[in-house]
This record gives sequence, C-alpha cells and structure tokens, in this order.
Amino acid sequence: MVFESLKFMLDFYPDHVSERSPDSEVREVALLLKQRPLSLFSRSIHVRMVDCGSPNDVELEEGLMMSPRVDAERFGVHFVASPRHADVLLATGPVAQNMRIALIKTYEAMAEPRAVVAAGDGACTGWPFKGSYALAGNGRVDEVLPVDVKVPGNPPSPYQLLAGILKAGMAIDKKRKLQKE
Amino acid sequence: MGSTKTKQFMAMLKKSLKPCGFISCEERGDCIWVHVERTDLLPMCKTCMATGAVFDSAFVSQNSGKLSNLFTLHYIFRSNELGTLLVVHASGKEFSSLSASTNAAVWDERKIQDLTGMNIVGMTDSRPLIFHPESGYPASNPVGGSVRLKPKSTVYPMQGTEMHGEFEIAVGPVHAGIIEPGHFRFHVLGEQINKMETRMFYLHRGVEKSVEGKTPSDALPLVESISGDESVANCVAFCNAVERSLAIDVPERAEFIRAILMELERIYSHLADLGGMPTDVGFFMSSSRFAALREDMMRLNQQVSGNRFLRGVCTIGGVHRDLDEGTISAISSGMDKFTTRLREIERMTLTSSTFLDRAFSTGTVSARIATDLALVGPGARASGISCDLRKTIPYSVYSRASFNEATEKNGDVLSRFTVKIAEVKESARLIGWLLSNMPEGSLRSKPKTPGKVSERIGIGWAEAPRGGCTFLVELSGDGKIKRMACRTASFRNWRALEKAVLGNIVPDFPLINKSFNLSYAGTDL
Repeated sequence: MVFESLKFMLDFYPDHVSERSPDSEVREVALLLKQRPLSLFSRSIHVRMVDCGSPNDVELEEGLMMSPRVDAERFGVHFVASPRHADVLLATGPVAQNMRIALIKTYEAMAEPRAVVAAGDGACTGWPFKGSYALAGNGRVDEVLPVDVKVPGNPPSPYQLLAGILKAGMAIDKKRKLQKE
Repeated sequence: MGSTKTKQFMAMLKKSLKPCGFISCEERGDCIWVHVERTDLLPMCKTCMATGAVFDSAFVSQNSGKLSNLFTLHYIFRSNELGTLLVVHASGKEFSSLSASTNAAVWDERKIQDLTGMNIVGMTDSRPLIFHPESGYPASNPVGGSVRLKPKSTVYPMQGTEMHGEFEIAVGPVHAGIIEPGHFRFHVLGEQINKMETRMFYLHRGVEKSVEGKTPSDALPLVESISGDESVANCVAFCNAVERSLAIDVPERAEFIRAILMELERIYSHLADLGGMPTDVGFFMSSSRFAALREDMMRLNQQVSGNRFLRGVCTIGGVHRDLDEGTISAISSGMDKFTTRLREIERMTLTSSTFLDRAFSTGTVSARIATDLALVGPGARASGISCDLRKTIPYSVYSRASFNEATEKNGDVLSRFTVKIAEVKESARLIGWLLSNMPEGSLRSKPKTPGKVSERIGIGWAEAPRGGCTFLVELSGDGKIKRMACRTASFRNWRALEKAVLGNIVPDFPLINKSFNLSYAGTDL
C-alpha cells in the first residue's frame, strides 16, 4: 500500500528545472533563478492577477503554473488575494473598457515598489481585438499602466509566465535600490 | 430526408391550438427556417414552444440596402423531436418581448436592446446589460440603428430586497483567486443567501462587431478568443455555420480530426472544474492530482496540435493539420494512462467524507428551474434534462458514434461532479473509437468561389464542454462577414447560478460557482 502511494506520488512529481533541460522555456527559468541571489526574503514574489479581457486562457495557464508539475511556489512565487499584499500585478488583456477602472484601482492599492507584467498577446498588443469599440484605447496594458515586463504568447505557457514574474522581481529589486539611494 | 422534417413540423403546427401564418417555411442548412410577419413573430414562437421546442437563443441583425433602417430578429429553438433547430425570424423596427412569457430569453433581449438601441416592448427587465453606465457607452450602436438608449443614471440599478436585518456583500469584479472578473451581490440573513445578483460583461470586447468585414478565415483567431477552453468547439460551430451557408462539404477525415480535438478539449476543460471543486472544499490531495493530470493533457495537446489550447487547427472547409501515426499512438497511449489515473483519483475523491459532506445537496438546481431557464450542458444534465447536442441534434460524425449521455437527477454539486467525470470517461472512450475508425482522405475541401447569390446566412452549433453553443453567420456578396452573432453555453447558464445559491451559505458559493465553472469571457463576448 505504501509503495503504491509512493509510486502514485512520483506520477506527479515536479519538473526538474535545470540549465541543461531540453526545453528552452525551462532553461530560461533556470537561468533567471541563478541571476537572483538566494537570500532570506529576496526571492519571494507575491502576485495579484487581474483579468482585463483575456479569454480565460492565461488564467488557466496561471493555474497550471501553481500545479504540481511546474509548482512555482517552490521558487517563492505566490498568488495573493489582495493587491495590498502584492509586489507584482499580472494583467492579462486586451483591456476592456469596462475593466479599465478596476485595473487602475487595483494598481493604486498596491504598495511601492511594485511592478506590472502584461501577460499574453492581448495585453502586449491588443491582438486580436485591436480597434474594437469596447476596448480601452487599443487594448494594450501599457496604455493604462506603466508596464515593466511583457510576456507575449497565445497564451504564454506556465514556464514563460514564471520567467516573466521572475523578471518583474528583478525590476522590483532595481526600484528598491533606487528608493534606498 | 430533408423535406420530411419540414412536413413533420407543418403537421405539428397544424395540430397546435393556435395555428398562425407564416410567409415561408423551408429547410436550409440542416435547420428549419420560418419566415413570419413581425406581428406573427411572438405567436409563432409560442406555438413552437408548445410543440415541445426549447428556447435556444435570440439574435439580431441589421437589414441591408433599402431596408437598412429595419432589423431582423431571429429566435432559435431546439426541437429534440425533429432533431433540428427552428429559426423563426421577422423584420421590423420594434418587436414585442418574448421574455415577458419566456423567462429564459431575458438576457438575450437585454443584450439585443443594448446592441441596437431598439425598444423591445413589454420586457420584464429593461436595465442595461452589456454597457456599464460608469464606464461609458460606445459612440455608435454596434448593430446599427439611429436610436440610442442613454443611460438614465451613472449607477447600475441593482434590484435589492430591502428586507429588515439583511446584509449586502459586494464581491468583484476583481476576485481573490485566479479567476475572471464579474460582480456578485449577495443579500444575506446571517449566513444564508437570500438573493444573489450577478453583474457581468466586464470582459465585453466587442467580438461580434470585430469580425464584421473580415473574411471567415481571418475571423478564426477572434472566434478562438471568445473563450479559451472552448476554442475548438466555438471554432467548429463557427466553421459549420459558414460551411452551411456556402454549402461546403467537409472531408470525412477532417470531421474525425475535429471531433478528436473537441473531445480532447472536453477532457482538459472538465479536468479544470473537477480539480476546482475539491480545491474549494479544501481537499488538496485530490485537486493537485487533477491539476497534474490536466498539465499532462495540455502537454499532449501541444504534441497533437502545436498549441496547448488546440488552436489554429480547424479552418473553413476542413483542418490545417493531419494526425500522423506517431501522434495517433501518442493520443491513444495518453488516453489509456489518463483513464487509469482518473479512476484512481475518482475513487479517492468520491470515498472522502471531506468532499461528499460539502458537495451533497449543495447548490441544487431543480429540473423545473433548469427547464424554465433553458439550461444547457452538464448544468442541465445534472438536473436530469437531456440536452447533449451530440445526441439530440447530431452534427459532424456524432450521428454515427455510439456513446452515452451522462445524466443525474439531484442537480446538486455532487451530481455535476459525477456528470463531468462520466463525460470525461466517455470522451476518452470516444477518442479511441474515432482514432480506430478514422478514414484516409483529404484534409480540406477546395474553397469555392462565391457565387452570385447576394447574401447567405447559416447557423452552426456544437456541444462545447460547458454545453451547446450557437453561431449565426451572415455573409455579404463579396464573401465577407456581414454579421456574426454568438450565444455560448455560459451566457445561457449564468442565471442558473443565481437560483442555485439560494438558501446556501456564503462559504459554499465558490464551490457552487466552480461546479458550473462558467466562462466569464464566453458570456461577455
């Protein structure tokens, strides 16, 4: 019985993230993890996500980013319920006119230093609804908020999203240094 | 075969108590089209429903040419008896409301009112739906017309109950979890929910308007972006609508590949809700296993189609990509592994009191409410209503495939869980059948040059993971899209959530919401 459940555990063991992985997305994540020094709290990144118009695909991939295979939590990435607790705002798009106010209010509720990640083709470029009457401007997130990292993709895979969040963590590190100076 | 259905329908009309006149009634593109005078529209709809047809959707389009100041209103009904869709349509400037007598049509008519600025007489609820007064209205009506209903106030009027001692909880649009935006207003007495109002359409991106003026193939990425985990089903329904209107035949092999993709989609989409329900009761043993299983299915999708959401394969007249020997064996071995692992997780979840205590008798939707709101998909099947479009109104290869429609009686969270488990198992079995019976042949029929027929219109439908979706596509003479209207399963089922939560406690709301797992983006378009 014990052996059976152990076998079952192995069945959903997390991926091994290494610089020698055959998957280029996994290699990128491994490189980024190496660049950020492993000190006590510096690696933890708390993320608040706001869906501003994506067809729920990026959300599904975010869910899988926290799933046992990718398990972003082991690298300190954690989704929080309130923007007050968050370092990074993960916005997906294209930004719908009806979501514009909610997006701005969420950003304003975050403490500084903070960073914004635009995830998905819609958030980066407004594709494929660019020019629609129902979008805020052309639908790009950077028309509404200052964007630090863009993660293109239709939708970006969990590892690409993870890489984007790690990059946003570095952007926050820089901002913190500037604040101290 | 074709004319017999029309004859049957005529006989049914004659039998009905109130026979009413129509201008024409013909079978076109697998649907029965009934053209009526504007004044006869409502009686005809009522007669259709008296013959047992179920309300499916209401679409509006603007007439062209000299009559461009008129709208055409299409009321679509599903007739399980005839195994086809009934499209009742009429032209005019002003219509009387069907929602006054048919509760299911309320959102459809509010949407039409918002899109056209048209006044529908006698609506039970005429508040704005799509446009939010505080976010502003677009400069012109998305579907033409000169009248524009200006918002009466800058605040959306919530209904409220104003009962003594009642407390209001406002949730959203930005929620606590990884979820799309929508606003819920709970009216609670203590812990018990007395009333819940949903306010949606935060994700309204103007899909229907954006595809206008594009060729059908250019519109595919937009259709796939209606709702992420229903990409294939929406795309197939849209392609079917275009193919029916242009009389394009799809090669056999392409139909099989489409069906395989649709079943793969059903599996990964259902796994998300199946994992979500244990998450919301705090049973992470089960939910992480479901999540790992889903990730593996997504990787299989990547292998099969080159995209984790199976996008970019279906196209007008066929498919872009073939399944080679390697892919076929990868799918069948993936399905075998999937079935064994699913069985193990199912046993673990359904023998756990942690899960059963919370799921049993929670969020009940009675069969009466499900009929009243014309629910579709697993939400309706859990209440004992047979509505699987693959069975009742077969399309593509499903008329030949043998599979069971999963139904339950209780209509609670547990029923929806078991229905989804049964559907996923059936899909895995169906994929095996499809793989072994897939014929050789071409992947795509040659695109026809548009003939001289000025305008064509077609209806397409498919059973998406969340239930049946219906597309109406109108093509202009040059082969571009003049109007596309779409009704997804989520749009039909959202109002069921308002009924399902009544009498439950607030902490059970996430669980009930997850058991329906409706798409916000698919509702808002």
